[in-house]
Amino acid sequence: MRRRRRIATALYACAGVVLGLIILVPFLYVLSASLQTESELIRRPPPIVAPNPTVDNYDYVFTGAVPAAYASKELLRGTVTQDVRQIPKGLRNSFIVALGTVLINLLFGTLAAYTFARERIRGLYAAFVFILGSRLLPSVAVAVPIYVGLRSMDLLDSKLGLVLIYSAFTLPFSVWVLTLYFSSLPVDIEEAARIDGCTRFQALRHVVLPLAAPGLAAIAAFSFLFSYSEFLFALFTTETSRSKTIPVIIASVSVNPDASYTLIAVGIVLSMIAPILFALVFRRYITSGLAASLTRG
Amino acid sequence: MTTAAADRGQARARKSRLGRRTYSWATLAPVLVIVGVFTLVPFVYAAWTSVHRHVLVLQGRPFVGLRNYQNAIEDPLFGDSIKTSLIFVGVSVPLVTLAGLLVALLLNQRVRGFGILLVLVLLPWAVPTVSAGIMWRLLLHGDFGAVDGFLFRIGAIDSYIQWLSNPTLAMASVIGVHAWREFPLAAILFLAGLQTIPPDLAEAARLDRASAWQRFRYVTLPLLKAPLLIVLVYETIVALSVFDLVYVLTGGGPGSATTLFSWFTYTATFKYLNFGEGAALSFIMAAVLLVCIVVYMRVVRLREDVT
Repeated sequence: MRRRRRIATALYACAGVVLGLIILVPFLYVLSASLQTESELIRRPPPIVAPNPTVDNYDYVFTGAVPAAYASKELLRGTVTQDVRQIPKGLRNSFIVALGTVLINLLFGTLAAYTFARERIRGLYAAFVFILGSRLLPSVAVAVPIYVGLRSMDLLDSKLGLVLIYSAFTLPFSVWVLTLYFSSLPVDIEEAARIDGCTRFQALRHVVLPLAAPGLAAIAAFSFLFSYSEFLFALFTTETSRSKTIPVIIASVSVNPDASYTLIAVGIVLSMIAPILFALVFRRYITSGLAASLTRG
Repeated sequence: MTTAAADRGQARARKSRLGRRTYSWATLAPVLVIVGVFTLVPFVYAAWTSVHRHVLVLQGRPFVGLRNYQNAIEDPLFGDSIKTSLIFVGVSVPLVTLAGLLVALLLNQRVRGFGILLVLVLLPWAVPTVSAGIMWRLLLHGDFGAVDGFLFRIGAIDSYIQWLSNPTLAMASVIGVHAWREFPLAAILFLAGLQTIPPDLAEAARLDRASAWQRFRYVTLPLLKAPLLIVLVYETIVALSVFDLVYVLTGGGPGSATTLFSWFTYTATFKYLNFGEGAALSFIMAAVLLVCIVVYMRVVRLREDVT
C-alpha cells in the first residue's frame, strides 16, 4: 500500500514537472531570445540558453542606442526602429489606462454595489438587470458604433476614451462580484455604526470597505488585467503613441515582416512584466474571485 | 399636539425616504451612464446601421432593408468562416476542458512542490493574448523556431515543419496556442469544484475499497458536473469570439484557413470600411453568442437548483 502510494506520488511529480515545463519553457525561451543578438538567434536549431547574454536590445528600446552587433551588420531596418522605440510609451499608456479603469471600478463600482446590496427602492432591480444584461452584448456588435461615438465626442486616440470603454466592459462584473460580497457581510455592524452617528457613506467607508478588501482586490486585479491587455478596441480607436497601448504596439511590430526577432522578443517580455507581477501579487483573490463568480451564479 | 408631532414624524420619514432615493440613484448614476453610453446607445445605433448603406468611403446612408445581411451571407467567405469557426470550437473546447480537468485533478493531489505550480498555472492566462500569440509565433517559426529545433534535435522530424504556412497545421497551431492560454482558467474552476468535495467522502470511499476509477466516477465526477457545464459553455463563447490570436499568429491565413467568423466580421468592417455589412455580421454573431449565453445562464441556474 505504502509502496503503491510512493509510486503514485512519483508519477504525479513527473506529471507536475511536465506541466511546469509546458507553462514555463515558452516564457524562458522569449526571455533568452531577448538577450541575444539576431545572428545568434537565427541559428538552426536556436540556442536554448543565450550563449552571450546582452541587454543591448533593451538598451536600444529605452535609449535608442543601436546595439553594436546590429550596427556592424546593418541588420536593423528603419521601419522597425521607430516602432520598437514606442514600447516604453506603450507600457506607460497601458499602465495609465489600466490604473484609470481600476480606479473607476473601485470608486463607482463600490458605491453602486453597496446600494444594490443594502437599499430597497423601486427600480433598483431593473437597474441591476440592465447593468448585468449589458454584458450579454458581444463587444464586436458595438465596436463600430463605439468608434463613431468616440469620434463625435472627440475621444478617438485618447487614453480617456479607452478608460471609458474598458470601464463600461468591466463595471458590470465588478458590480456583480461586489454586490455578492456586500450581501454576504452582516448588516449589524453597519447598523451599529449608523446608530453611533455615521452617515451611510461613512459606514461604507470605515466599516464595510475594510471587511470587503478581498472582493475589492479581486475586481481591481480583473479590471487591471483586462484593460492592460485589451486589443480589439485599443487597435481601432488609437492612432498615435499618445494613446497606443502596449498590445497594439507589439502587435504592429510583430506583423512587420522586417521586424528584428530579438527586438520582438524584448517587446513581448516587457509587455508581460506588469500582468505577471499583478497576477502573482493578487493570485489568491483572482482564484477565489473566479471560483465564486463563475460558480455562484 | 399629538397630531402635529405625528405630522412632523411623517415629514421626517418622508424626507429620509427621499434622501434614501436620492442617495441610491446618485450612487448608481455613474455606472448607469457609463454602461448606457457604451453599450445601449451603440447597440441601437448598430441596429440602425445594419439596415442602411454605411460605407465610410461612400456618401449618403440610404435605407437598404436587409440588403447588408443578404450581402454578408452571400459572401463565399461567410459559410467558410462559419465552418472554420465550428471546427475551431469543436476541437478547442473539448481540448481546453480535458486539459483543465486533468491539470485540476493533478494539482488537487498533495505532493510537495505543487504549491508553486498553482502559482505558475495562472501565467498563460494572465499575460496579454497578443503577447502570448507573438511569443508562440516565434516558437513556431518555420526557419529558426524552438519547437522545430527541439523536434529536430530529438530526431522526431527530418526537416523543419512550416507550422503557420500550411493550412491544416496553421489551424492546429492556433487551436494549440488558444488551448495553452485557456486551460488555466478551466483548471482553476475545476479545482474550485474539487475542493468542495468533503475529504470524509473520499476517505469513506477509500475505506470501502473503491478503486481509483470508481472513486473518480462516483465521488468526484458528480460534484464536477456544475463546473464542467460552466467551463464548456464559457469556453464556447470565448472560442467564438477569438480575435487577438488570429491577428498576431496567422492573419486569417494561409489563404482563408484560419479565417474564423470573428475574424471575417472584423475584416469586413475595418478592412473594407463597410460599417453596414459589418454591423449586420455583428448582429448575426451576437445572436449566436446570445444563444450560448442563454444556455450558460440556464446551466448556472440549474446548478442552483441542484445544490
